[in-house]
Amino acid sequence: MQREEKQLDSALEALIVRVNDLKTAIGGMLFKLEHEYETLNWPNFLDNFALMSGHLSALSKLLSHDKMPNLRNLTVLPLLLSPERDEELLRLTEGRVPTFAHDLVPDYLRTRPEPEVEHRNLQMEHKAANQSYETAQKQISAYTKVVSQVLDIVSKAREDWESEGTRSATGQTSSVADTHTLVAAISMGKGLKVMVPPVQGGPQGMMVAPQVGRPGGSGPQQQGGGPMNPGQGPMGPMGKAPGTIKTNIKAATQIHPYGR
Amino acid sequence: MIENVSQPVSTATESLNAARNIIPNQEYLLQGSVMDSAVEVLLHRLRGLCDNVDSGPEPFYDHEMCFSIRGAGSMQPLLLRVRRALDYQDMPWQLRYIGQPEIGDKSRPTIVRNSIDIGTSATVVEFLTELGCRMDFEYIVRGYMFRKGRMKITVSKIFKSGQGKPLDNMEALSQSYLVELSVLAPSGQDAIAEDMRSFAEQLRPLVQLEKVDCKRLQHVP
Repeated sequence: MQREEKQLDSALEALIVRVNDLKTAIGGMLFKLEHEYETLNWPNFLDNFALMSGHLSALSKLLSHDKMPNLRNLTVLPLLLSPERDEELLRLTEGRVPTFAHDLVPDYLRTRPEPEVEHRNLQMEHKAANQSYETAQKQISAYTKVVSQVLDIVSKAREDWESEGTRSATGQTSSVADTHTLVAAISMGKGLKVMVPPVQGGPQGMMVAPQVGRPGGSGPQQQGGGPMNPGQGPMGPMGKAPGTIKTNIKAATQIHPYGR
Repeated sequence: MIENVSQPVSTATESLNAARNIIPNQEYLLQGSVMDSAVEVLLHRLRGLCDNVDSGPEPFYDHEMCFSIRGAGSMQPLLLRVRRALDYQDMPWQLRYIGQPEIGDKSRPTIVRNSIDIGTSATVVEFLTELGCRMDFEYIVRGYMFRKGRMKITVSKIFKSGQGKPLDNMEALSQSYLVELSVLAPSGQDAIAEDMRSFAEQLRPLVQLEKVDCKRLQHVP
């Protein structure tokens, strides 16, 4: 911030020097016009113009310089207006502005629009004042219609956008219960075992049993009511089987001819 | 001579031990689900996030059978999974062992479990049955697979399947798609789990990818 202020100060100083150069050049030319008009020759007069044009180009070069702060973005603000005569101001302006008052400041500091703009504004106001009441009403209603239509479009877009936002925010896209159902199904077969027909388990169990000493193997007639029974639910093999295993192990080893 | 004989033996053991550090046998896993209504949004997002941007998601249509065998001493049955592609019937089948998942504490970003898989021929079912395995359950899984570096993301629908039931008349298990984010890595590569956590963050709130403890689910009705 401070660096910027310093930059602005130095830029303004340089600007003042250039403007003063230009002013003296113009002043010199005016002096010559008034006092030496009898001896003044044309090439000499043109030299003056060349001098002024040189000063002007130096000024514009300075304004377009990289380090020049953008003056367009800055505002000159009159802080205090006074109708009394200000000697200091008179000296600074070389006797041109005696007071810093309401009638002069708007023009000097451009706190009111340029005359051209002001003129056009006045024309508009005049036109508006001469408008008949009906046409004015008509135009107002047309304008309101357009504005309300635009408002509709905007608020509709906003509604869409917000509902989309809340939908994803509330997490409606996934359900913990479904995750649990799916994971339990693929890892333990929960909810899937019911679909396996008992017929399928039967022959498999028979072949299996002797080798591993499975309880089911001791008799195929038990297999039907074993873990594959759909009525017992998916927990069957893991939850209930151990109980039967214990009681059946003996029987299996005793009965089976190929027991180890 | 004796030295010569023992030399190869010890190096073989050593190389096996060394291989254990190379073989990707640890699966880092996060699971979640997305409702049918939002699956398109998720697929769209994954298309943007993942590596196979130009080729699009890879569809798959598999049949998985889970076999169990009860060891002599242990109460926990050993589970073996057989998977085959229904859309590419002549592709090899896959036999897979999945170990007990380690949930770990909160500082661990993903589930870690042993996973060993191998390609097999179609006779694997017969082979397992002869071994004494019994089919526990089976299902049909159909969905899309994405890749992001070493990470694999699957979005799939689980269908109930029974023998003899026509495949086109399958009953979906739920109104959601299962979403799994997994990486197979040699043991001790825990850094990948952090990558998975940050990737899972990018799918929120569409999908909540979490460590799902299936042991706890066993007791939920």
